[in-house]
Amino acid sequence: MAGQGPLLAIEDLRTVFRSSAGDLPAVDGVSVSVAPGRTLGIVGESGCGKSVLSLSIMRLVPRPGRITSGSIRFDGRDLLTLSEGEMRGLRGGSIGMIFQEPMTSLNPVHTVGRQIIEAVSAHKDLSASAAKDVAIDALRRVRIPAPEKRFEEYPHQLSGGMRQRVMIAMALSCEPRLLIADEPTTALDVTIQAQILDLLKLLQQETGMSIILITHDLGVVAEMADEVAVMYAGRVVETGPVNAVFGDAQHPYTLGLFGSVPRLDGENQSLLAIEGTVPPPFALPPGCRFNPRCGFASDRCRSEMPLLRPLGPSHQAACWHAPVEAEFG
Amino acid sequence: MNATVTAPAAGPAATPAAPTRAGVFRRLATEPGAAIALAFVLATIFAAVFAPILAGADPYENNLRAAMRSPGGDYLLGTDAQGRDLVVRCLYGLRATLIMGLVSLVIGGGLGILVGFCAAFYRRIDGLLMRLMDILLSFPAILFGLAIAAIFGPGIVAVVIALSVATVPLMARIVRGAALVVMRLDYIEAARAVGMSDARLIWRHLAPNCLSPIFVFATLRFGQVILLGSALSFLGLGAQPPTAELGAMAAEGRNFLFFAPHIAVVPSVLIFMVVLAFNVLGDALRDALDPKLRV
Repeated sequence: MAGQGPLLAIEDLRTVFRSSAGDLPAVDGVSVSVAPGRTLGIVGESGCGKSVLSLSIMRLVPRPGRITSGSIRFDGRDLLTLSEGEMRGLRGGSIGMIFQEPMTSLNPVHTVGRQIIEAVSAHKDLSASAAKDVAIDALRRVRIPAPEKRFEEYPHQLSGGMRQRVMIAMALSCEPRLLIADEPTTALDVTIQAQILDLLKLLQQETGMSIILITHDLGVVAEMADEVAVMYAGRVVETGPVNAVFGDAQHPYTLGLFGSVPRLDGENQSLLAIEGTVPPPFALPPGCRFNPRCGFASDRCRSEMPLLRPLGPSHQAACWHAPVEAEFG
Repeated sequence: MNATVTAPAAGPAATPAAPTRAGVFRRLATEPGAAIALAFVLATIFAAVFAPILAGADPYENNLRAAMRSPGGDYLLGTDAQGRDLVVRCLYGLRATLIMGLVSLVIGGGLGILVGFCAAFYRRIDGLLMRLMDILLSFPAILFGLAIAAIFGPGIVAVVIALSVATVPLMARIVRGAALVVMRLDYIEAARAVGMSDARLIWRHLAPNCLSPIFVFATLRFGQVILLGSALSFLGLGAQPPTAELGAMAAEGRNFLFFAPHIAVVPSVLIFMVVLAFNVLGDALRDALDPKLRV
């Protein structure tokens, strides 16, 4: 994060889901930030809290979830103190969001053009023809061929990749400064994935927006992100510039994630799996949350929760054994 | 790391395309029962709208010399105790009954739709609204009609109020159920994420996707409302004699059941046919609108 201050800075955010068993933390003391024009990748398994984190930024956490503490500063304003009306102005305005499921994220009863116009007119007071121009322009910007024709079509007439392009066009129609992409390519096949990622990169260069990219795909992060935050069970366990984290991973969980990715360069043919699953929020172990699945776990890991500690320029990991070399190297 | 291979996640089956208006109509027309019901309903509406032209006579003009004629002869459906042509009376009666049903359905159904959407959308007041609906639901419509008639005096207005109130909770439950399903869909969240206001979200995204159950229920409910309204009129709570209204006409005919049964039977059969037609149409509409029911 060079030079200027961050566009978005999340401090110690805690989002809990109220239940009969008490407040269950889905996001538990997360601090991350994104600088203007940069891309933050948030990685983790299913259930680690990354989607709740993105919904928290939009203040769209579904009930019974709610944000209990922390701050989300966007462009100098704390989003958690804004009124619902001010927040609505930001959603789709300065902060755009795209979702995992392009197949179901568009309303089947309206044409795609109609839906983009709605997104635009929620923020700008435009005449019908001006709004249509903006919408067609948005479709053109996401490289949809024959945008005038697609404008009139219904979602079921479009392929998955096309629909995700429409979603991106909708999210970018008001030129947001931050785009939150929640697993934007998970539901798409591999070639379409690459196209969509290339498109996002291209659009970022054109508009200078920041991107928060939520994914479980390390390949996507490597290709897209400048910084990365690895999440586990509601907490950030390792964060830093992509090169630092990918080149010199320190948290055993991060190492485990890398071990479970197949490589095409011939090395290390057998894939390592991390045993077990992310513990649910009602059954978090004491100490480090990763300790039941960690090969390095010691008594200290089982009793005391490690906090993020600096390991290099803006590279941090939350592990008692980090840096790894110090003990095992 | 850009040489990573990821297995593509299997996408969910595409949402079935909403049945088009023409498609629904075609399905209705090819189902014999539905086609007959639709034709009958359209004929009924036509008859009610153009009653003054079709009847060509005053439904209130007495002609005691021609009283209680049996069907056939000069009078196709016979005459009542005052010698009024039952064809004329039925045309006007149909008109009154349909208007009564329609007004009750629009008022009661409209309020019910509003309550249903609010309950589904604002979960905070969901419990309160639905318990209120449960209370309304626990009053039999006939009993409610009695109470309203006691307050406002018997008449069509009392019937309309009673039927509207009786329709609100039923419609509210149907709409809430449909809306809760739609609320969980991704495009509602996506619409929120582009900063759409609640009213727009309900109107543009929630409502259009709940239309099928609303239409189906309204059609079915229309038959029930007519039946209930006629029952209330028959009990003397609704339209008062000499008003030409099917239920009231049946009530008038009751006194002559043994020597001129057609006076009660003709309007009763008409009520029966109209209600049956709306019920069949409602069922057929449900089948036609729900692609999942097509085997």
